[in-house]
Order: sequence, then structure tokens, then C-alpha cells
Amino acid sequence: MSREYFEQTIIRILRVVGLIFFIIIVAFPFYWMIVSSFKSLGEILLRPANLGLDIRKIDFHAYYAVLFEHGFLQYISNSVYVSILTVVLSVTLATVGGYAVTRLRFRGRKIMSYSILLIYMFPAIVLVIPLYVMFSRMGLRDSINLLILVYLAQTLPVALYMLKSYFQTLPPEMEHAGLIDGCSRLGVIWRIVIPLSAPALASVALYTFMIAWNEFLFAFMFLDTPEKFTLSRGVVQLAQSVHLSKQLVMAASVTVTIPILVLFLFFERCLVRGLTAGAMKG
Amino acid sequence: MASLTLKGITKRFGKIVALSGVDLHVEDGQFCVLLGPSGCGKSTLLNIIAGLILQDEGSVLLDGQSVDRLAPRDRDVAMVFQSYALYPHMKVAQNLGFGLRMRGVPKQSIRERVLEAARLLGIEDLLDRKPGDLSGGQRQRVAMGRAMVRRPRVFLLDEPLSNLDARLRAGVRLELKQLHRQIKSTIIYVTHDQVEAMTLGDQVVVMRHGKIHQIGRPETIYERPADTFVATFIGSPEMNLYRGRLLRKDDRLHFQGPGFSLDLRGLQINLEESEVEVGIRPEDIGIGQGGTTILQAKVEMISNVGSEKYIHAHLGQGTLTVRAPKEAAFQPGQIIPLTIDPHRVHIFHEGRRI
Repeated sequence: MSREYFEQTIIRILRVVGLIFFIIIVAFPFYWMIVSSFKSLGEILLRPANLGLDIRKIDFHAYYAVLFEHGFLQYISNSVYVSILTVVLSVTLATVGGYAVTRLRFRGRKIMSYSILLIYMFPAIVLVIPLYVMFSRMGLRDSINLLILVYLAQTLPVALYMLKSYFQTLPPEMEHAGLIDGCSRLGVIWRIVIPLSAPALASVALYTFMIAWNEFLFAFMFLDTPEKFTLSRGVVQLAQSVHLSKQLVMAASVTVTIPILVLFLFFERCLVRGLTAGAMKG
Repeated sequence: MASLTLKGITKRFGKIVALSGVDLHVEDGQFCVLLGPSGCGKSTLLNIIAGLILQDEGSVLLDGQSVDRLAPRDRDVAMVFQSYALYPHMKVAQNLGFGLRMRGVPKQSIRERVLEAARLLGIEDLLDRKPGDLSGGQRQRVAMGRAMVRRPRVFLLDEPLSNLDARLRAGVRLELKQLHRQIKSTIIYVTHDQVEAMTLGDQVVVMRHGKIHQIGRPETIYERPADTFVATFIGSPEMNLYRGRLLRKDDRLHFQGPGFSLDLRGLQINLEESEVEVGIRPEDIGIGQGGTTILQAKVEMISNVGSEKYIHAHLGQGTLTVRAPKEAAFQPGQIIPLTIDPHRVHIFHEGRRI
């Protein structure tokens, strides 16, 4: 057996072992969550360590209870509202702002473009108390639109930075051609920059959506009325309630996770690069 | 179509002066070539005409009307970029029609004009393809077509051939010349390639360091270069240039160069005893006796380019390049007699032609 062959084999084995290891770590809690959510309370209490799921005994009751008895339908609609609005605002502002710092010359452009990320350096936990106090005094607390504002502030720096980096890779001559061909600056952004930035816009949208959808800290601090709760806040509310039944929490967790998963699988196809091929000499 | 006038165009980038006081007039329908080494400001000038860069001083006029306050889209010029800058997400037909669509031209006439331009350029088969599927030459045609479809007042071409390989370039150069004859448009063409400038231009503008050195017909630029820069920049192989002194001996004018003396009889120049530079084009030197002025040079090296030979030789303390027919058979080390017609000699005083 040659040495090279030996090394190749070792690497191959290590790769498979490593992959299996990480898959177990990542997938097991997820698996357990789904399996538990389909069991009845009795089943869980009788055999808590049972990892398997009996197909004949699948029980959707937990989902029904979570959605219609514990107000999760409202939470879902709240989360969808908050997340989608955050995505739309964040992507719109980041596109225009990212374009400005990439292409336009104006006073303070450098400081602007560096300070974008600086804002992101403050951890949320440092900001949440002063913001809590401030918004309480302004009487703005306990509002779902306030949450959108906070999420926007949280996602915009990274969104701007991502789009700025992408815009820098677009050849400026293409935009010059657009300007000469009869577009205004906004026309150039709309007709040339945005179509060519689809992959970057998709990643920014996905990133923003995930942040807004999963965020807990600010939702926990700023929302008091149960009708205004977002999903993550709702799950915690449920988990803290007195009559804790595990399958309900699991079903609630699944409703939080599935949309993100679906979204990711859908957007993943859009994240391919190379849309600009053919513009330049090649 | 329109005439173009530039008045005192000046542009600085920080401390660097890219253009200083550029004046130029291009007649309606003229093919004007801006020629110069890289960094001479020719592309900046083109961008200023297009309105993509704003000048610090001076004015751009189309048909005598200032367009300084107009955005690029309102100047009604079209530009072909060195990198082509096609819109990769649109098909060729959409690329060609984009400018018309932005100007609200009805769909039917867009289609007609796109077809017409495509036919003229021989790219009808490509209309449904995307730029990514095209070869370099095809992309170049699409870029040309995108400008032509608009029927602009002025065409601006920024080194449009420099990304093509040498053979294709020669072909497209000819087509471009024919195209200009057909559509009779005003063209401003930027290049650093003197062959393109000489073959294409009605008017050649030689630039360096943000200044215009000479404006003229290609023949004039070549035959009567205004200064030593133009003299050495135009022509291949380069003009031989020697620094020396004009002397009058026995009532005859002589040029005393580095280690040789050149008889300039018959020339009337009132610059005796002055420092001058004398330029001789490699093809203006005859080999063998019989001419007016005889010099001796020692052959150092011979480059054979196929159609002819360039002989690199020592003349006094300087070097000399002579153009010789391909049949010429010389050996390195050989001493050859040279004849030079004084009327073919270029004389420069303080860099300027006299």
C-alpha cells in the first residue's frame, strides 16, 4: 500500500466520521423536537427516553392546542408582519445606502462607510436597558412597530456592509452605460444594479428575516401585551406557564423553526453567484 | 449629428492635473482620434464630454450650445466602452434597444431600429443570446450596435478595439472606417495605438500630460510633427533624434551632432550657434552613395520583420535606426554609407518644430 493511498484513505475516513459527528450534534435535537411534538402527553410521561416514533400513534393535538388555544396563530401573524416589514425596509435602505457609499462622492463618505460597522460592535444587551428606559418614558414601549425599528437598527449595518461589498464588485462602466443610455441614478440602481445583485439581495433578505424572526431579547423586554407577542416570545411564555406539557413546547418550537427552514431551502437556489458574466471583455 | 467644441477644459484629481486648458473643435461628421500614452488624460476628456465626470473649468459645446449643465442622458451622446459594459442580464436585442426604451420610443420602431443596426453589424443571429454566450468580437459589435441604434449626436469610443486579438482588430478597424463612411457621424475615438489613429482619423489629436501637443490630419502629424514628443511618439520604428548645434561653415549650414556632422545645405534657418534637435525618420535615410549628405554608420544589429528590415547602427556617439528593404544583406560590424536629403530632416528648437 503506497503512502499516498494510505493518507487518502485516512482523510476519507476522517471526513465521513467528522460529518456523521456533526450531523448528529446538529440534527438530533431537531429530530427529538419533531418526534416529541407528535406524541401525546401520556406517551411522553410513560416512556420519556423513547427516541422512536410510532407512525400509527402520531398525534396532531399539540399543534392544534398551540395554534388555537395558546394564541400562536396571532404570534405567527405578528412575527410574519414584523419580519417581512423589517426585510423590506432593511433591503431597501441598504440598497440605496450601500450604493451611495460605493459609487457617490460626498463629504464624510469614508467615515460613514466605516462607522456603519462600528454601530454593530455594541452588543444588544448593552443597548437594551437604556432603550427600555427611553422608550418607556416616551410611551412607545409595548408596540410591535417599535420592534421593527429596533430590528432595523440591528440588521441594517450588516446589510449595508454586505451590499456595499457586493456593489464594489460590479463594474462601474455598466452603470455609466446606463446613465448615457438615458437612466437617472435611481434608474441605474433599479434597472441595472438590482437585477445584477439578486444573489446578494437574497442573502441580505434571508439574513434580516432570520434575525427578525428569531430575535428574543428585545421582544421579551419591550412587549407586555400577549396579543402583540412574536413567536419566540410566545414560546418562552408557553414554556414558563404553570401546566408545562412538553409536547406543546415542542410543537411551538417546530412552528418557529419550519418557516426559516423552508425559506432557506427556497432562497438557497438564488444565492448562486456569477450573474455578471458576460458584461466585460471576459 | 453635431459639431463638438471644447473650450479650456481643466480637470484636477486632488493635486494631479489630469487636463489643463484643452481646446478642440471637431466638425460635424468628422472622425477625430485622441491619441496619447496611457495617463495622458484622453479617457478623462471623453468622460467629460459624456458628462460622466464634471470638469473644473471650461465648457463643452455641441453645435455651439453648452451642455455643461446637462446630465449624461440629456446630452444625446453614445459611448462604447473599452470593456464593452454590456448589460449581462439582458439579451442582445434588449441591450441594443435599452437606450431607446429609456427614451420612450414606441416598441415597433425600437424593433425596427435594432434590426437595422444588427443587420449593419452582421449580428442578427445573436439577438436572442445573452452577452455571456458571445465571443469577444461579437460583444464588441453589440457594444457598437448599442451606440448606433440611438443615432446620437456624437459617438464616443474609448479604446473599443484594445480587447480584441491582433487579427480581429485589423478587420474591425476597416469595418469601422467603412461604417463611418456609411453613417457619416461625428466620432471621438480614444486610443493609444498610433496605427488606429493614422488609419481611422480625419483629425488626430496628440495628447500628453493633460495637454494637446498637436491637432492635424494624420499626414500632417506624421510629416510635420509640431514638437519632439509628437515626432517620437508617432512612427514605428521611432524617429532618430539627436541633440546638437547648428553651425555655418563655408556659407553652408551644418548640424554638429554627437560625434558626427550633417550637411544641411539649402536650408534657410536663422538659428546659427543655437542648440537644436534634429530628427530623421528611419525611412528617410538612404543606404549607399548618391544622395546629398553622406554619413558613415557601423551596423550593430538587424531586426527582420518580414516585409522589411530595420538596421540598428552606431552613428558617432549615438544610435541610428534605418529602414531597409527585405533584400538588404548586412553583417553586424559592417560600415555602411548613408545619404540623407536635408529637406527630409526635422529640426526642433527648444522642443518645438522650426
